[in-house]
Amino acid sequence: MPYTYLITGATSDVGAALIRRVWKPGDIILAQGAGDLERLEPLRALCGDSLHLFDVDLTKEAPLSDFIETIRREFGAPTHIVHLPALRVINTKFRNFDEQRFLLDFNVQVMSALRICKAFLPAMMKAKFGRVLFMLTDYLIGVPPKNTTAYIVAKNALRGLARSLATEAAPAGVTVNCVAPYMMETRFLTDTPDLIVEASAAANPMGRNARVEDVVPAMAFLLSDEAGFISGAELPITGGARY
Amino acid sequence: MSEQEIFDGVQEIFRTVFDDDSLVLTRETTADDIEDWDSLEQINLLVAIEKKFSIKFKLEDVKNLPNVGAMLDLVKRLAG
Repeated sequence: MPYTYLITGATSDVGAALIRRVWKPGDIILAQGAGDLERLEPLRALCGDSLHLFDVDLTKEAPLSDFIETIRREFGAPTHIVHLPALRVINTKFRNFDEQRFLLDFNVQVMSALRICKAFLPAMMKAKFGRVLFMLTDYLIGVPPKNTTAYIVAKNALRGLARSLATEAAPAGVTVNCVAPYMMETRFLTDTPDLIVEASAAANPMGRNARVEDVVPAMAFLLSDEAGFISGAELPITGGARY
Repeated sequence: MSEQEIFDGVQEIFRTVFDDDSLVLTRETTADDIEDWDSLEQINLLVAIEKKFSIKFKLEDVKNLPNVGAMLDLVKRLAG
């Protein structure tokens, strides 16, 4: 059966690798990015006309609404929803908490997931099949690190959404899961000082940070037909650092 | 760069990171003397020092710094 994957944050290193991993002939990929769609152009060689790219600023409500409406009109409900995007993590004490930036990140991470699921989950449930997958962080496992309040609050909200939807969608055969990776060495860390990245690697029991190739296969599994009895899971991908 | 300039710059960073304008460093100051100085704040201090003095630390060089004096010496060596 051909699938339709709606992937937000698809221009990330994880998003592009996930498309490579899961796409098969007949599948449709609806890939959202924000000002960086050229990163997905190389995938045309693989996916051809079944790759559809959407430049959408998820910090704002109107572009997201237009995006959802376009998808609904031209493609109908997807079979798979993968939600990856987040603004860069700001490492700062709570006294410097920036509410404006937090709200932008909250829109990107939480409100866009909420609205997309609200738009399409009912149809997925009616179809008696579907997979939803969110990107979390291992910061949610146990005691969170200091100075990351905005990120932690948004990710916890996303986790809450996943858990609630998992409960509601399970009777319809739709699964909702999350992955919670250790610090991942991707472009997301562009603004993170090397010392922090190195210290994180040194603190991991396996002596390194997570890589895209550690995370994508786990995501592909949770999206697969075989994972149909797994829902509400938050899979740690941490090299044993947190679980 | 003089030792005094390095000391003043590092002390300023400590005061900002620990939000304490009255904080006074000595070469003997250690993590035991500042309540909030844990491994995460250590990294924050080092990253701020890197930025201020346009230097780059290696993790192995900063892993076992025993006190502020060792930190100042390392900055002096790297900043020239």
